Amino acid sequence: MGNISTKPVYLEDKLAEIKSDGKLEYRSKALPTWCPGCGYFSISEGVTSALNNLAIKPKDTVVVSGIGCSSRFPFFVNTYGFHTLHGRTLPVATGVKTANDDLTVIAVGGDGDGFAIGGGHLSHVARRNVNITYILFDNGIYGLTKGQTSPTSSLGFTTSTTPYENHDRPLNPLMMMLSFGSSWVGQGYAGDPGHLGEMIEQAIAHRGFSYLHILSPCVTFDKTDKTYGNLNMQVKPIPDDHDSSDLMAAIAMAQNVHKPPLGLYYKEDRPTLADGLDEITQQSGGGKNVVTAKAAE
Amino acid sequence: MVQPKHHVIIGSGITGTQAAITLRERDPKSRITIITMSTLLFYNRYDLPDVFRGRTDWQSFLVYPPSFYEELNIKLRRGSRVVNVDSTRKEITLGHKETIRYDTLLVSSGGRGYLPEELVDFRSLMHNFATFEAAMNVKKILPENGKVIMLGGDMLGLDLARNLIQCGYTVTVITGEHTFWPHTVEGNERKTFMKALESMKVETFDGDKAEGIASIEEGKKGKPARKIIFKDDTVLEGDVVMPFFGLAPAVEFMIGSDADIERGLLVNPELRTTNEHIFAAGDVCQIWDKKDKSYKFFYGWKNVRAMGEVAAKNMTGDNTAFVTTQDEKLRLDKKGQINSPFWEYD
Amino acid sequence: MKNTDIQISICGSAGDGTIAAGDILKRALAKGGFKVIAFDVYPPEIRGFGKCISRVRVTTEQVYSLKHHSDVLVSLDDSHAIPHVGEVRDSGAVIYEDTPISGVLEGSHISAHISPGQIPYGLPVREISEKETSGNRSRNIVALGYLAGLIGMEPEIFHETIADKFRGKAIKITDMNVAAFDKGYALGQKTFKLDDVTVGKAKKSRNKDATITMMNGNAAVVQGCMDAHIKTFFGYPITPATTIMEKLATEMPKVGGRLLQTEDEISAIAATIGAGYAGSRCATATSGPGLALMAEMLGLGVVAELPSVIFVSQRGGPSTGLPTKTEQSDLNLAVYGRGGDGQIIVLAPTNVEGCYKCAGKAFEMAEQYQTPVIVLLDLYLSNRFETVELPKQSPFTKTSNKAAKKKDLEGGYKRYAFTKDLASPRALPGQENGMHTITGLEHNELGRPSDQPRMHEDMSAKRHNKLLAALSHHDITIEKRFGDEGDVDVGILGWGSNFGECLEAMFKAREEGIRCSAMKVVMLSPLPLGPINDFMDASGEVFVPELNYEGQFANLIQGATARSVHSYTRVPGSPMRVEDMLVEIRRLAKIKKAKKIGKTKKAKKKAA
Repeated sequence: MGNISTKPVYLEDKLAEIKSDGKLEYRSKALPTWCPGCGYFSISEGVTSALNNLAIKPKDTVVVSGIGCSSRFPFFVNTYGFHTLHGRTLPVATGVKTANDDLTVIAVGGDGDGFAIGGGHLSHVARRNVNITYILFDNGIYGLTKGQTSPTSSLGFTTSTTPYENHDRPLNPLMMMLSFGSSWVGQGYAGDPGHLGEMIEQAIAHRGFSYLHILSPCVTFDKTDKTYGNLNMQVKPIPDDHDSSDLMAAIAMAQNVHKPPLGLYYKEDRPTLADGLDEITQQSGGGKNVVTAKAAE
Repeated sequence: MVQPKHHVIIGSGITGTQAAITLRERDPKSRITIITMSTLLFYNRYDLPDVFRGRTDWQSFLVYPPSFYEELNIKLRRGSRVVNVDSTRKEITLGHKETIRYDTLLVSSGGRGYLPEELVDFRSLMHNFATFEAAMNVKKILPENGKVIMLGGDMLGLDLARNLIQCGYTVTVITGEHTFWPHTVEGNERKTFMKALESMKVETFDGDKAEGIASIEEGKKGKPARKIIFKDDTVLEGDVVMPFFGLAPAVEFMIGSDADIERGLLVNPELRTTNEHIFAAGDVCQIWDKKDKSYKFFYGWKNVRAMGEVAAKNMTGDNTAFVTTQDEKLRLDKKGQINSPFWEYD
Repeated sequence: MKNTDIQISICGSAGDGTIAAGDILKRALAKGGFKVIAFDVYPPEIRGFGKCISRVRVTTEQVYSLKHHSDVLVSLDDSHAIPHVGEVRDSGAVIYEDTPISGVLEGSHISAHISPGQIPYGLPVREISEKETSGNRSRNIVALGYLAGLIGMEPEIFHETIADKFRGKAIKITDMNVAAFDKGYALGQKTFKLDDVTVGKAKKSRNKDATITMMNGNAAVVQGCMDAHIKTFFGYPITPATTIMEKLATEMPKVGGRLLQTEDEISAIAATIGAGYAGSRCATATSGPGLALMAEMLGLGVVAELPSVIFVSQRGGPSTGLPTKTEQSDLNLAVYGRGGDGQIIVLAPTNVEGCYKCAGKAFEMAEQYQTPVIVLLDLYLSNRFETVELPKQSPFTKTSNKAAKKKDLEGGYKRYAFTKDLASPRALPGQENGMHTITGLEHNELGRPSDQPRMHEDMSAKRHNKLLAALSHHDITIEKRFGDEGDVDVGILGWGSNFGECLEAMFKAREEGIRCSAMKVVMLSPLPLGPINDFMDASGEVFVPELNYEGQFANLIQGATARSVHSYTRVPGSPMRVEDMLVEIRRLAKIKKAKKIGKTKKAKKKAA
């Protein structure tokens, strides 16, 4: 996809270019363990460039993950990172952010981690509007455990745990997150890194809970369904006339699972969890919140 | 299955307690309940003057220990006043609105100190000696070597009087028609016994001569706590005024039951009232005397205990008549002091 | 002057003000300088007419258990109180309503159940209440006044306490209740007293650096948290731990702390560990079922070496079990309940003051040894009130984090560096040059995943051995021995809320001439094995009573010392009966004697 450049690329030039824009500072020394061609590489690239563009320092960033291929993410960025338990990304991230408002907290995880085992936490982090970003890498399969069906696997999909085919209807994550009250919901595609990077940047910049759903092929265990080939044909940009403050329009758009629109579905400005907690401090007659001021001592 | 009979006894004195013991012997499976206004277990009121000798622990007055009632499976309802007896439904009602059914009922609620009409207004200025609590109260307020003015002077009072004198107090008895009650002492005999009282160091004052009591008042500060003003303006001072005008049966709760009442509950020699399921014994009842063709009270420890036993027998199918064995004559002992068979107890 | 030791039970139906009357009683007496221990029992149902009992024991010196027999029973509802009449000792008092509103059948009035040895005191509670407050709402206060008058307590401290109780309401309400109290008091004073229940003079404390107050275990935990400058708390309501969260929800915001009610216990502990990772003094509170849900996260806390404090108030189990009854059956879960080799620190306070101390110290330990710390209470300790002396100055550090310094961060920061004290310097998010990723995977010193055999050996040793330092943590009782010194016939090894009963049993055994001492073990993990072994050496027989079925503490001790003990277990849902423990102690003392005689006989034979 995109334009294929005809100009030759020289290694030195490329390295100089990478070093000059500061992104490298966000890269860990550890090399990613993802399969070659994995969609997660472009997500990783998107996160580092977004942090760089937003001038958020690595020391002020915490990436929290659960368990799964995507959850290895923290090891590959040079920020503070917390590789937690399967499904518990969001409550841990809530704890980190509540303890220190100054930190930029990015939760990352896959469809199994977030929508299966961790599904109970989604609604609460959304309704509380915890000021964190949740980047969900949806490849519709359990990759790390070598290809079992996930809550977003398509009907009829054949995997090692659904050898005859999957009969469980897949979830609609976007509709769920919209209805739970997420204050920012968008969708990106690993096959379109440029757009993805923009979306990540917007999501992190949003004040409140931002949910970015990323369609990301598993090149190893899905050769038939959510492949680059198939997705390249299906995805389309969100129409220009979509009103991102219209929740019902966003929910209607989320129904379009076979032709998934990419872009910002919904955005709303409302008080965050921390705003509410500070309000409680005021109501109690207490002084200003001292948690954040002292947490980093 | 035949339900065990429920024998209910009103009053926990010697009569009621004796009845309960006899009932238990004769009817081992029955339910036995004693209802009493007292919060104490049965104690011997003849011992009460001992409080002036320093015996103030209530437990030492108990005739039977608490375990006795548990062993005999006698249920005690202390602090309970009977307010009504419904003989049609065979039910009694207690002050706290609890109803208790009985198969046979024994009323042995005894008598309480009689107070002549003209003294009722001064009740709050007098002290009785009917219970352990009352005895302790008199002991508490009576100063050392204090003076007791005793009105009436029945044999219960005279017993207390001789004990008080032994303990160093002084006693003045305002004599009148109730003096020596329940003995009937008249004419020269009365003079002899009055003299005997003096020899016992009991001071006497003829209340009738002073035309009776006009009022009882609190004494002025620094003076004895009470003064009695007689109609002839004579004034007597003392620390405590105690009425002893004999006993009146405690029967008010029986009004409305179909047991006949004159002054006390009227019973035949078998101690049955006019209701076949209700018996009465002790100071509360008047027993038909065939010879005299009248209902008579029989006092004294021996009598009332015997009545309890007779009633219990008849409540459990027997048909024994009560016969008094009590000597009723007031006498003088070798030292010339008054002695009454009513003062005797086991 | 004779020492005071009386126990009063007030029993009624929900809505009678039973617990409120007990509350005024214990607060007034504490105000009067007495020591108090009190434990209420109330039904699990919110509405309806369930049974409530408030038991208050008043003493000159602080005790840590309730008596099996009460000296006084106050009935505010006969149907509930009747089964408890038997709890009153001989010559003790039963106070009851003598003017019920409607008639009752034979046997439904409490006076039918008072035994000949007990002293009945009936009074027109309702009539007095109606006269004083034009309603029967203050029946409890009238009865309380009567009780106070009868046994000769000062009315002034009650007036103050009643005013405190109704503070914020119309003054009229206070006045009416004080009047109701006084009417009851006058009647009580006038009543001819036949029981032998009396209060003596209270002993005033002379400790100027302490505040004497009265609180229950959960309130003491909250006070400990506040004095330890807790910053964040995440919790999910569960009996009997809920009141910890409720009180913190009021108190923490006042000093800028943050509290969040999460969607479940997994989220609660996850957020707590997240906050701990970010450097915040953090805690959660739960009971057995919630702790079970937290097990996996606690394992993460262990391997990631992050601080967190978990207050666990046990109730009857397993599963939903007996939510409103006490039990000590989550010891195994607290001590062992993680996947893998997941040792953490477990503190089990034995009294209310201990709850305060353990709460504050748990934060220090969690940070200093970089581990989850469980403070293990139970319903009995959470809800029972005791008089406590709390220091005016907080005895706890503000932080015990071992911060990563500049030299630690140079040349590649090692989050899990092998250091002398085994607790590695910790960089906190926001700190320059300290970036690192921590993980539930086994890792090397840098924190990077590593499954090398040697690394797993070394890291396992590091995680376990660093905890041993907690055994000598400053200014906290890890274990303590009471009673006879030197060799004893029977040594009672106790833990948790049940230790008050152990002490009482020990004192009674000594009165009977049995050489006896009792040791409480506050730190259940790691175990203070030295002192425990010494104690077992000195004890002819070791008696381990606890409120669970399996003998979880006994098993823990036997496993750790490879020595056998006499396990004694009961699961009545209520505190252990001291009388029952004494029977066992007497039996064990005889065994010890028989052994002694056996030994001397053998020795004599040998000599012959």
